[in-house]
Amino acid sequence: MTAFVVRRLAFACVTLFAVLTLVFVLVRIVPGDPAQLILGDQASREAIDALRQRLGLNLPIWEQYLVFLAGALRGDWGVSLVSGQPVIGEVLKVLPWTIQLTIVSLILGIAIGVPLGVYAAIHRNRVIDYAVRVSSLLGLSFPPFVAAIILLLAFAIALPWFPVISARSGSLAAWYQSITLPAVSLGLITAAYVTRVTRSAMLEVLSEDYVRTARAKGVPWNAVVWRHALRNALIPIITVVGLYLGILIGNSVLTEIVFSRPGLGKLLIGALNQRDYPMLQGMMVIYTLIVVLVNLLTDLAYGVADPRVKLK
Amino acid sequence: MKKLVIAVMGAAFLAAPLAFAQKKSLVVGMGSADAGKLDPHIASTTPDKGLLSWMFNGLVRLKPGSINPEFIEPDLAESWTSNPAGTEWTFKIRRGVQCHHGYGEYTADDAAFSIRRAANKATSSYSNDFSAVDKVETPDKYTLKITLKSPVAGFLGYVANVNGGNQVCKKAVDEMGENFAKKPIGTGPFMFAEYQPQQFVKLTANKQYFRGAPALEEITYRYVPADSARDLAFQSGELDMIYGKQDQVWMDRTMKLPGVKVVAMEPGELSVLSLNITVKPLDDIRVRQAIAYAIDRKAIVVFKGAGSSRVAVSVVPSGYLGTDEKAPLYPYDPAKAKALLTEAGFPNGITIKTIHTTLTGMQTLIEAVQAQLKKAGINLDIELVEHATFHAQIRKDLSPIVHYQAARFPVADVYLTQFFDSASIVGTPTAVTNFSHCNVADADIRAARSATDPAKQKELWKAAQEKIIKAVCAVPVYEQLQLWAWKDTLDLGYQLQGSLNLSPPITEKTRFTK
Repeated sequence: MTAFVVRRLAFACVTLFAVLTLVFVLVRIVPGDPAQLILGDQASREAIDALRQRLGLNLPIWEQYLVFLAGALRGDWGVSLVSGQPVIGEVLKVLPWTIQLTIVSLILGIAIGVPLGVYAAIHRNRVIDYAVRVSSLLGLSFPPFVAAIILLLAFAIALPWFPVISARSGSLAAWYQSITLPAVSLGLITAAYVTRVTRSAMLEVLSEDYVRTARAKGVPWNAVVWRHALRNALIPIITVVGLYLGILIGNSVLTEIVFSRPGLGKLLIGALNQRDYPMLQGMMVIYTLIVVLVNLLTDLAYGVADPRVKLK
Repeated sequence: MKKLVIAVMGAAFLAAPLAFAQKKSLVVGMGSADAGKLDPHIASTTPDKGLLSWMFNGLVRLKPGSINPEFIEPDLAESWTSNPAGTEWTFKIRRGVQCHHGYGEYTADDAAFSIRRAANKATSSYSNDFSAVDKVETPDKYTLKITLKSPVAGFLGYVANVNGGNQVCKKAVDEMGENFAKKPIGTGPFMFAEYQPQQFVKLTANKQYFRGAPALEEITYRYVPADSARDLAFQSGELDMIYGKQDQVWMDRTMKLPGVKVVAMEPGELSVLSLNITVKPLDDIRVRQAIAYAIDRKAIVVFKGAGSSRVAVSVVPSGYLGTDEKAPLYPYDPAKAKALLTEAGFPNGITIKTIHTTLTGMQTLIEAVQAQLKKAGINLDIELVEHATFHAQIRKDLSPIVHYQAARFPVADVYLTQFFDSASIVGTPTAVTNFSHCNVADADIRAARSATDPAKQKELWKAAQEKIIKAVCAVPVYEQLQLWAWKDTLDLGYQLQGSLNLSPPITEKTRFTK
């Protein structure tokens, strides 16, 4: 187990290195000059060139790369070209917002999706099953930002229960007010995914011999469904949840903008617009790390859900 | 499930009602995701400039609410004089002005420091504006003397409360260095208090403000990038003042809200098509004239909305000191355009490329222009790229036609110099935004810059505009005004016609009436 984790983390380092190199080159290939963007459109070429020099952007790209790698190895990810602040600090300031939103919407998605999926599976081809399938399809096909606007119109304007600017903090009530609508907006889409996977995984398991055996020997139906069947259907659910976590963090970009929440997504958009190379590099490290960690956790969760899975 | 729904709704009720803003505190919603560098000599975006303008003063200022450079009034300088040649300027600094947060008295030293800082390429986006500055001296604690190498048209504008004219406190810059942009220190009615990334900047009243303590106690400047979210938050009362979506539909819709004031203010950003006169087929003046004849400026204004836009009058925005309000622009005449094209050897029409930004307001305009040009047999091939790419590529001469939309300090010289003086041609070391490679009006632009007789100066500017129009270096299209909305219980404390910082000034007199 420990060996497995260590090996996976070692692989993660290789992945990180590859991603970093790719990002480093890509962001520089894209046209756009950070110095010009910082100084604005009334600055002369001379002023822009002077700033480029100060930012080290006039060095050959391989030299910039070496400087960057040397810094990265020391744990120095550079400073944002726009704000002049260390990249890591800027990322850490908003990271909690994104993580909270992701986790709460994931929990919401599982809490809604798993019971609905199970319920639909055991009522296969009945009205309730169709209703669940149609609504989950609707959830999947609905653009998240549209859902977000509808939620705002309903629960911030028509019924003024929540703020439009979902960025309050400081107290539990403020936190709850700020997270509810964004989390519901993302959570419903997650729930749609989870419902569909749970339903199909359950259908497969419910037709297994051991389920029939369990019923035949008189195990109560509820216990058969929740203990025998669901437990065995967990692996595909965990896989989807793990995969979806990555998507969720990506989806949060739009959610953050519509709900005016701080977060990684907004930081990324800003860094892209401003061609803030160090910031983009730093953020890619964070995103890659998150995906690698989630994959690792997913693998570990397989072992917990199904003791037959051996991690080597 | 039912229980869960009830629990969630119950909890929502518990948390409601929301706390509304106190009426001594103003909450502004700005359409950007975050603050940039909050340094008045660096900031070049509308969101940053607007916020900083509430914290800083100039040596002189434009009357709040006005953008007319002929009505300049004292700010940190109580009075000023200049020699007849306009090359030596002496400013008497107001006594007893305090820098924010205990950084001491603002004196001539700070003034000299600010001018030098704004003139320095390494610390300023506006160093160009001060290229004529020769010496900055402080004969005594309250006197500042600026010597120019040559006279500068509208020099006072460069030391006014906009861009490089903003006055910083030396001690604060020295102490904080790069961190000055994290906690900007000025002398204005409001002081920097707090910054939360991607959320807001909070300003508090400067009780020692030399014009008197502000009526408002606090300003929260919130970053709300989504237009829809800003509108909704304004409706729900979370925001008192918002930066509008810059189009007529928004304006019409917002005006229908109760208790709301919607304003389309100066300056108008002039939308111009710069035609690169050095590349084929635009090097043929007949092709350029054809483009000019093919554009129906009045129809564009109908399309853009008459409340928020107006017809372009010249290659310089209207209302500037020196703008020729009756410049001889080409009338709309598609038949003539076609004839000119045929004459130039393109009887079957012509295709010309433009690299264009995806910025919505600008994109809808170029599409309207494309439709108009089509009628004259000119096929405009629009290559859409995102905004930063656009800025990079047009500066590399990659776009034969460049659509640019901008407002500048309202003296014709600034616009003419940046867009039409050959020194500003893109690709050169002194490049600014001359995308057309225009060089036909250099003599007039430069002579006007150092002309000391105002009447003569205006004549030279007029001549320059005529030459540029005649050579069709650029085709002006329309002007976009700045749209804002606020609760009608907010009294700005002055008559608002416009603001050079593109945000309404919030002064010591701004207050809520209820």
